[in-house]
Order: sequence, then C-alpha cells, then structure tokens
Amino acid sequence: MKLLEYQAHAVFHEYGLPSINGFTATTVDELKEIDGKLPYPVVIKAQVQTGGRGKAGGIQFAENREELLKKGEQVLTMSIKDLPVDKVFVTPKVSVKKEMYLSFTMDRRAKLGILIFSPEGGMEINEIAEATPEKVAKVLLPAGDKLDDFIVQYAADTTGLDPELVPEFKNFCRTLHTVFLQHDCLLAEINPLVLTEDGRLMALDGKVDIDDNALEKHPEIRTMQDEMTENKLVLEARGFDFLYIPIKDSGEIAIVSNGSGMIMSSIDLIAKAGMDCTCALDLGGGATADRIQEALRIVASNPKAQTIFINIFGGITRCDEIARGIQGSLSFIKDKRMVVRLEGTNKEQGLEIIRGLGSGMELVDGLYEGVDALAKGKKL
Amino acid sequence: MSFFVDENTRLIVQGITGREGSFHAEQMLEYKTNVVAGVTPGKGGTTVLGLPVYNTVREAKEKHDANASVLFVPPRFLYDAAYEAIMTGISLVVTIAEHTPVHDMLKLHHLAKDKGVQLIGPNSFGVISPGKAKAGFMAHRIFAQGNVGIMSRSATNCYETAFLMMKESIGQSTVVGVGGDMIPGSTFVDVLPHFEADPQTKVIVMIGEIGGSEEELAAAYIKDHVTKPVIALIAGTNAPKDVSMGHAGAIVSPDGEGSAEKKMEQLLAAGALIAESTEDIVRILKTLV
Repeated sequence: MKLLEYQAHAVFHEYGLPSINGFTATTVDELKEIDGKLPYPVVIKAQVQTGGRGKAGGIQFAENREELLKKGEQVLTMSIKDLPVDKVFVTPKVSVKKEMYLSFTMDRRAKLGILIFSPEGGMEINEIAEATPEKVAKVLLPAGDKLDDFIVQYAADTTGLDPELVPEFKNFCRTLHTVFLQHDCLLAEINPLVLTEDGRLMALDGKVDIDDNALEKHPEIRTMQDEMTENKLVLEARGFDFLYIPIKDSGEIAIVSNGSGMIMSSIDLIAKAGMDCTCALDLGGGATADRIQEALRIVASNPKAQTIFINIFGGITRCDEIARGIQGSLSFIKDKRMVVRLEGTNKEQGLEIIRGLGSGMELVDGLYEGVDALAKGKKL
Repeated sequence: MSFFVDENTRLIVQGITGREGSFHAEQMLEYKTNVVAGVTPGKGGTTVLGLPVYNTVREAKEKHDANASVLFVPPRFLYDAAYEAIMTGISLVVTIAEHTPVHDMLKLHHLAKDKGVQLIGPNSFGVISPGKAKAGFMAHRIFAQGNVGIMSRSATNCYETAFLMMKESIGQSTVVGVGGDMIPGSTFVDVLPHFEADPQTKVIVMIGEIGGSEEELAAAYIKDHVTKPVIALIAGTNAPKDVSMGHAGAIVSPDGEGSAEKKMEQLLAAGALIAESTEDIVRILKTLV
C-alpha cells in the first residue's frame, strides 16, 4: 500500500527521522487555519498517488496568506493524471544547499533488500541513473536485521559524498532502514534528501510503500488504506475479504472467480477474443453461498458490468455453494447476462441448481467454451 | 522416479490440530501419503487422526525420522513455524499460507538456502507426485501419474492444466506449487534441476505470470542447463499495470518491469515453447508425449 507524502512524513517522524513538518488541508477554511502556524514562504503540495506533481502544477509556493488561500484552492480543485486532489500538504520552504536521493527497497531478483543512494537528487532515480550512472550506488543488503556500517560507507565513498557528511548520513540511513524493516516497507524512499543551508540532512519528500501482507501488524495503516481507497466497490469487497480489481473503463464483462491465476487467464482469453473486462472479483478459496451473494451484489452494482462471467474451478470451493449463492442473488443480477462455468468439487449438484434457475443462465463447460459464449453474445 | 515427495516421504503436519490442518492431513492420508506425526505447540501428547502430536518439530523428527513437513499455520505464525522446521533440518518444508510478510519470506528464503533445506511456498498449493504422495491442499483427483513435470505460481491455472491433461490421459511426474508471493522459498530456477535430473519427467511445464524476474532467470537457466522440452505459460498479459492481481507477486511496475512480453521473449529465446493458454499447454503436450 502506497502512502501519501504527508503520511510518509508522519511515519518518518515516528522514528525520529529528520523530516519536514507541515499541515494538511482539504478546504479553504482549513487553509485559513494553517495561516500563522508556519513562517512564510510556504510550499503547497498536492497529495495524490502519482509522480510528476511538480510538472502538473501540483506544487506551489506562497509568500503570504493571500497566496496560500488562492494557490491552495487552485491545487485543491485540480486533477493530476485523472486523480482529483483532495488534500494538500503545506510545509515551510526550506533553503536547500544540495538535493540527494536515498531509498531502501526490495530486489526481487536477488531476494534481498537494497540501498540506493545518489548525491544527485530531485529527479526520478532512473533519470539520475541514466544521466550520471557513476553517481548512483546500489548496494544489496545481506539478509538480516542490521544495516552494516560498511554498506553505507561504500555507498557514500563510491558516489563521492562529502566525507564531512558521512557520519550524519550513516545515522540517517540507519533510521530509514529501521523504518524499512519495522514498518514492513517494500519501498522507503526519500527524494529529495536535502542538505539544508544550515548543514542538516532532512527528508523533504518521501514515498513509502507498505507490504499489503503485513498490514495485519499495522492496523493504523490499514485504516489509512480504507480512507484512501477511492473505488467504493474495492472497499466494500475488502470488507468481505474479496479482492475487487477494476480493469478497463470501456469493458462490459465482470469476472467472478476463485483464484488470482484463473482471473488473469480469463482476462487474457477474453482480451484475445477482442473483448474487455470492466472488473474482476477474486472470491479466494472456500467461499460459502451467502458470501457468493455478497460478491455478486458488489459486482452487479457496477453499472458497466453488463455480463457477469462466473468461472469457478473448485477445489476447496464447492460448486453447489456457488450455485446456491447465484440462486440467492437473482434479484441483483436480473438485468445482467450470466455466463456460468462450474468445475470441480460437487460440480453436478451445482449444475442441477443452475439448470433449475431457467433460461437466464448460460451454462458453459470449460473456460474456453465460456469465452466463446461471451464472444457470441457480443455479436448478437 | 519423481522428487520432493514420494513413497519414502515421512511427513509431519505442522498445525495439525487446526481446522485446515486436520482436514488436509486426512486428505493426504487418503492419498496414501505417509503422514507420521503432527506438531502444534501446546498440544503435545494429544492425537489427531490417530497420529501423535508433538510440541516441537524436533521431537517429531527424532521419534519418527521425518524428512518433510507441511505447514497449515496462519500467516502470522508462519515465520516461527517455518524457522523451526528449517533449523531442525527437515529436508523439505512446504508452506501453504497466503499473506506472509515479504520481509519474513526474505529471511526464510536465505535461511533455507544456507541450511540446504528445500523450502516450497508460501501462497502455494504444495507438492504432489501423483500416485505416490502429496504435501499440500491440492484437489488430488485431477492429477494422474505420468511423465510431465509441472511447476506453477498459480494454483487455479495449474488445476486447469492438470484437468485438461487428464481429459487427454496425460499425467504428471511431480507438480510443484512455487507459490504466488513476491519472494518464494524455491524459485523456478531452484526446481528446474530436479525436473532435469528426474528420469520420470520427459517434459517440463512452467506456469508463470506477470511480476518479478523469476521467469527471466528461468529462461537463462533453461538455455544453459535444461535439455528436456519446456512449455511455458505467462498469465496476465492483459492485466492492468501497477495493480496487484491477487497474488502479491503478480504486479507489473509502471515502468513495465515484470511484464508478460519480456518474459515470453526471453523464454522463447531460451528455446522454450510458449503456450498462450492452459488449453494451449495441453495442445503442445499432445505433440510431445
């Protein structure tokens, strides 16, 4: 789960990492409350889950109250890459001597953590690496909980970091590494890491991506996740432990299936047949009839989903449970075209129930017959 | 011959007193797997399905000369349970649970390597050598003994393939669920040498998906070390970018890293046969076996 910038700063502060302070606002009234709490000039930063905020005008400077309110309102009413800006983060403008880059992330290839550092910051790291590869250090971290001193020393020396900064840099790295481990981060990035005019290191902007698998350990982050989820159906599905995946706005098919692999295969085959999916819902294993009903209710409430393709290969999941769930959902799905494929445990009992529901149900035998049926329906 | 699990497997079930653990222990016994004991801390001295339960893996291993363990434990206990099994020196440790934290898996992956333990999973259906033994929760009725080795990140795509194979009377030597997580205990590259060395395996099927670099690493290994035909499927070609598709590992970065195209390109260059779907895997298999 990717945190917004102000949330990342809050995590940094929790660990005592030198990081910029500021206030958030969602309305002009809240902007008014910020006036007076920070010395001008201030920076107004759009809080959206995407890069390129600066270029899009999502970062503005204000010299006084009037500018804060005017520019703040501008930012609050804009969209960046189709994402509406709901919140701004207002911080003091820091006098910067030097911008640098620092992150800890996962190297999936090596299956190890990796430290990435460059004394040239401010741009995306791949841009820095392209422009000045000799100024980027990527150092794999041995498996374990300790950040070895020599790792940081090596990163600093090989990129030409001013030796006077190294002791403070080591402290900074150790703290960020603690954030990386303790907060189960897939990415803990500071860009820019700045050297201020008065000679301190400080995180001016941060990106934190937390392992979804570890959210159980961090209930406060899970709450943030729910608050930030824009798609109501994703949130509703999460409440039932289902995964709802929005796919394509132009799609008309919704897939309901019992596994990640099966969903990907279904999307691939449907795309190959020249059709698009609007969404998919993963039931996980062992769903019961009442849970199936909830799943169908959620999917059917997506108005773009004209056709629902139920594709079940049941091991733990029983086909008769699925069928009873469909039976109980008729009121939600009466306007939808239903294509149903059931395979695996208790298949025959399941099929019998579906046959009893009448002609509204298109029963198909196998994934491929299902995709064929979807394609034929489209031509009609 | 097959590998990982077979007639000589002496299996421990960690978490045997739980609902999932006892249900699947029974299923594994039904499949004639030699399940020798269970382990649940605090439940030592009891019995489940007529099997003795111990508090520690070590005691179970000593008393029953166990050589494999399968873990039906919730994700929050997975690290401790797998750590214990690895440190006890059980040669095969199979982990099932979904939602294991990545940082935990990172440590376990390297610990298992250091100790010479074959760690399978997590987020995996387990391992089965059809007709011999299974350690996991897969629906075993769709698997049959034969000459095709399968390794898969996805359970459902593997089931679909095995099911379509059964219709064509094609069976498997050993089937390994490497699992859908970001950092697996054993990768495709870790499993490939076993298929290559196994005389029963004539053809290798690799069911990969978007995200990560394991298929690319497998391609490099196949090119230099694998003489048997490899059929590869990469699921998720049409999945949206930067969205996790349910498996924690199945995510394409915004810059395109982990994309299906790149994986297929490298596998093709390594001499693998690219299947476009599970049905296509079986179509290619029919020309080979």
